[in-house]
Amino acid sequence: MTLHVIEAGLRSTIQDAGRTGHLRSAIPAAGPADGVAFEAAQRLVGNDPGDAAVEIVGLPFRFTLDAPRLVAVTGRDVRLRTRGSIPAWTAAFVRAGEDVTVEGGERSRFSYLAVSGGIAVEPVLGSRATYLPAAIGPLPRALAPGDALPLGPARRGADGAGHAALRSDDSEILVLRGPHADRIAGADALLRGRPYRVSERSDRMGVRLEGPALDAGGTEILSIGVLPGAVQVPHGGEPIVLLADGQTTGGYPVVASVVAVDLGRVAQAVPGEALSFYEVDRAAALEALRVVRRWLERL
Amino acid sequence: MAVRVVPFGEAALLVELEQRIDPAVAARAAAIADRWEALGHGPAVPTYASALLRYDPLVLDASAAEAAARAILDAPAAPLAGRLIEIPTRYHGPDLDDVARLSGMSPREVVSAHTSREHLAYFLGFMPGFAYCGGLDPRIVAPRLRSPRTRVPAGSVGLVDGQTAVYPAASPGGWRLIGTTDVVVFDARRDPPALIHPGDRVRFVEVRMAGGVPPAKSR
Repeated sequence: MTLHVIEAGLRSTIQDAGRTGHLRSAIPAAGPADGVAFEAAQRLVGNDPGDAAVEIVGLPFRFTLDAPRLVAVTGRDVRLRTRGSIPAWTAAFVRAGEDVTVEGGERSRFSYLAVSGGIAVEPVLGSRATYLPAAIGPLPRALAPGDALPLGPARRGADGAGHAALRSDDSEILVLRGPHADRIAGADALLRGRPYRVSERSDRMGVRLEGPALDAGGTEILSIGVLPGAVQVPHGGEPIVLLADGQTTGGYPVVASVVAVDLGRVAQAVPGEALSFYEVDRAAALEALRVVRRWLERL
Repeated sequence: MAVRVVPFGEAALLVELEQRIDPAVAARAAAIADRWEALGHGPAVPTYASALLRYDPLVLDASAAEAAARAILDAPAAPLAGRLIEIPTRYHGPDLDDVARLSGMSPREVVSAHTSREHLAYFLGFMPGFAYCGGLDPRIVAPRLRSPRTRVPAGSVGLVDGQTAVYPAASPGGWRLIGTTDVVVFDARRDPPALIHPGDRVRFVEVRMAGGVPPAKSR
């Protein structure tokens, strides 16, 4: 069973939940930029959250399947077009040979295409995730027209079609106070919602923010381990939110950490869009995580 | 400085030890990371003087995670140890003359200082396979470049503030470049993919260039 890529978008890749077994060799976990959208797509077609799907960057993405399968697309400002238009966040049954296009508008950035059974390429270093900067993964490059992606056995059939989920689109991002917030001038304003704009120079490694500069005293720290969601303050003072491809260690002070369930919203913001960060305590962060997990597990 | 255990997001703790580059401190950070992983809570990332300890907050609550971290702060720490790795290096880097001038040495003396000792690999970070090596000859003065290069070629041998390293792949970088090597320090198809691991001792060996002209790079 195979997915045939006809149009591949700009920088689409195979991703699974990520590769956390080699962080000490400085290999970033990779995995989806928007973990919640990724997992929702997987669950809508009956897959495990650890299965592999396609992360689409740059629409449209066009494909056929050589056997009928349940598919789902999630993301922002995105939908499926076959015989008609099918909204995102909804499972759809696709016939063998049917020409399917994932299309979207100006507010789309990372979209997820899950097919029941998952993309069944052989894991590399314990994962099917793609890390493009060092060409790590079973298919360590951006997808291209003509690619034939093997699929695992279907997990859910046609009766799953029409099953839908929806996530609200929100520019208010919950954060926890970072380990160095106390020594960064301007930290409190950032933690209380002063808006920042998303820079053009954002990618899967990190979202660069433009706005009032923070001041960490101009000094670097001895490198520490960092993880996705960390909000670093580099020399210029404009913060960077680390995403899935972010470095495993960093020498910049960390002012905040985006809560796990809101990191996808940061990744999905398009250049020029405003984001505001609000400090919460760990109990509130954990409650937000529980709410999203319960929602995902019901899909 | 007292040891600090601070939350880093809802799913990690950061243990900060004495903030200095010292084999004993790094060995302690590595021992804490090893113990954390052995407990099965999640992956850990040690550096010079810290350890990031990740966990699943739906399995381990914050106070239990902190208690578990504090209980392993004094885990027995064996000295960092590993293999001796030789890196044949051509000393023709664009910053060799500047480093020599800043250090009050001749370029030959810098090369001699760089090749006459073993450098301890402390940890890997920054990019896959990038090993931070310490123990640079203290006479060498190499502050970070004011504006980092947008592209440092793969195989570049660099220096900064008492440390030395080989760039595994092309990337932006702010270290001072004194040479290049053809040794492949990271290959995702190899197991393990990284050549240099924490505890390894790295010795740079000069490859003489006939007539002072650098040979063509093989990659």
